[in-house]
Amino acid sequence: MNDFLSTYGFLMVTMVQAGLLGLSLYFPFQAGQLSLASPGFYALGGYTAAIMLTNPAFGALRDSLGNGMFVLTWVVAAVLAGLLGLIVGVPALRLRGIYLALATIAFVEILRVVSLNLTITGGAVGIFGVPQPFGFADRWQYILLFGPLLVLALLFTRQLERSRVGRAFRAIREDELAADAMGVNPTHYKVTAFVIGAVLAGVVGAMSAPLLSSWNARQGTFDASIAILAFVLIGGNRSMWGPVVGGALLTAVPELLRGLADWRLVINGLVLVVASLYLPRGIVGALQKLGKARPPQRPTALPEVKG
Amino acid sequence: MELSQFVQSVMNGLAIGSVYAIFALGYTLVFSILGIINFAHGAVFTLGAYFTYTLVVGQFENNGLLKGIDLFGGNSPFAGNPWMFALATLLAAALAGGVAVLIERLAFRPMRARGADPLLALVSSLGVALVVVNLIQLLVGAEIYNFPQNAYGETPPALSFQIGGKTVIIRTVQIIIFLVSLVMLGLLGYVIGRTKIGKALRAVAENPGTASLLGISVDRFILITFFLSGFLGGLAGTLVGTGFGISGPYFGVAYGLKGLAVIVLGGLGSIPGAVLGGLVIGLAEAFVPADYSAYKDVVAFALLFIILLVRPQGLLGKAVIQKV
Repeated sequence: MNDFLSTYGFLMVTMVQAGLLGLSLYFPFQAGQLSLASPGFYALGGYTAAIMLTNPAFGALRDSLGNGMFVLTWVVAAVLAGLLGLIVGVPALRLRGIYLALATIAFVEILRVVSLNLTITGGAVGIFGVPQPFGFADRWQYILLFGPLLVLALLFTRQLERSRVGRAFRAIREDELAADAMGVNPTHYKVTAFVIGAVLAGVVGAMSAPLLSSWNARQGTFDASIAILAFVLIGGNRSMWGPVVGGALLTAVPELLRGLADWRLVINGLVLVVASLYLPRGIVGALQKLGKARPPQRPTALPEVKG
Repeated sequence: MELSQFVQSVMNGLAIGSVYAIFALGYTLVFSILGIINFAHGAVFTLGAYFTYTLVVGQFENNGLLKGIDLFGGNSPFAGNPWMFALATLLAAALAGGVAVLIERLAFRPMRARGADPLLALVSSLGVALVVVNLIQLLVGAEIYNFPQNAYGETPPALSFQIGGKTVIIRTVQIIIFLVSLVMLGLLGYVIGRTKIGKALRAVAENPGTASLLGISVDRFILITFFLSGFLGGLAGTLVGTGFGISGPYFGVAYGLKGLAVIVLGGLGSIPGAVLGGLVIGLAEAFVPADYSAYKDVVAFALLFIILLVRPQGLLGKAVIQKV
């Protein structure tokens, strides 16, 4: 068991982490918005935690809170990501489709270059020596953080989808004008969906800084935006399981191909091409379709055709 | 700002801005026809630079599967003469155009055939970019390659002149970049505005359904568009590579992102817009004070963000009235 954990434990943790990040993009998707902003909030959360856990300015607070400090970083990261989400979301969500996608790409790039140049974020070098929470000695133990977070996030998503807010999201996704005409305020709900995603990405970032024990500008890049978008689209963007399955699988594929060393990124690209060509509804969408595609019961009233 | 410094910045800005413009034209052509953004365009840009390098130098010394292979036995016919260098550049751009056509066939056409979500075309073009970039890395390694000094024969390294007692230096390659871009823009403007092919392209961009009823083979013109797009992208890659070196397989990624800023700034799908956007961003970057040069890469995205909020259709784009 210990061998298994030391070999695959970190992979499992990153699979769950990827699922969470996929889920963070899924919220704006629910309201029909293509956002690529998650890595920005993820990076912000990571920097928040890394700074709070290493900067001398927070030394006294760390001493008095002990492990509570880690919990505090999650809360602060959530609040900051939520606030930034609100500041960016209110103007940006007036845009639609590809324009919103491009605005969020610009947002991620701006954050990246700024964090690359600030002193507090450690410039190009980043922040090192982020301490481990709760005496974690092995990285697989982070499953104890990410696992419950995923369960909580999924429970929250399920409740949200069943609520009035979730129905409003779907109404906007299907037809924004009609939703507006029915008294659903699109801006309000689109920003809500965006901020929920931002908060989740921020918390994941705050948990990830100790996991990686360092944090730098490479954590929140355009590449990450694309990777996370691929999680959602390949997994399936119409069910909350899609981004989770997509994130876990697309994280596992390059690792399982490790034997192919140099070729694995090429194969990763091919997987993206082939999956987007042949699984237009994503993996979960295809499975659901399979489930529904059982041959319908023959209507009993129909007379037998005799030859 | 002193006049000499101003002139210097304008010259630098025009050179790089004109490359942004022809690179971004490749994006905008495809967008105007298919309504999607080809995220593999940055990879085609990279390929263009490597193709030219292969023709001119003939070998990759450092690393990768091609190490030790020498195409011309150290004596490339394309080296040492400006006209042969130009020929190599055109060949490389045409090859890049061919790759773009291949990308269309493999990643975009199957999507169109089944009426898939345009978002999926975005993911599949990104997949293609990932494949291309990593294949380059496998073949020639991650090293930086600079064109040799004598690649295009004996050219003066720079022009310099005095303004108000201060020297302004313009590298020859900057002038070449600017002139080549200007010629390409003129040619493209002529092809699109004045020729039959251009007319058909515009018809397909306006309404593919009607165009095909009028006897225009839509698929063929989409291929032509991708070829032109890849040609322009590959040419831009060569120009930048000649001027500033090829910084590895990820060379085109930053340009790919900046190109997005350029076309949105100018107006998605607008050809004059792509040119204006390229020059505006090139000039804006050139005027970033040296003390803040680390923030130079933010300029394009800050402009992109601002224009999206103020005028989403871009500087020259038409306002689109769309049902959600």
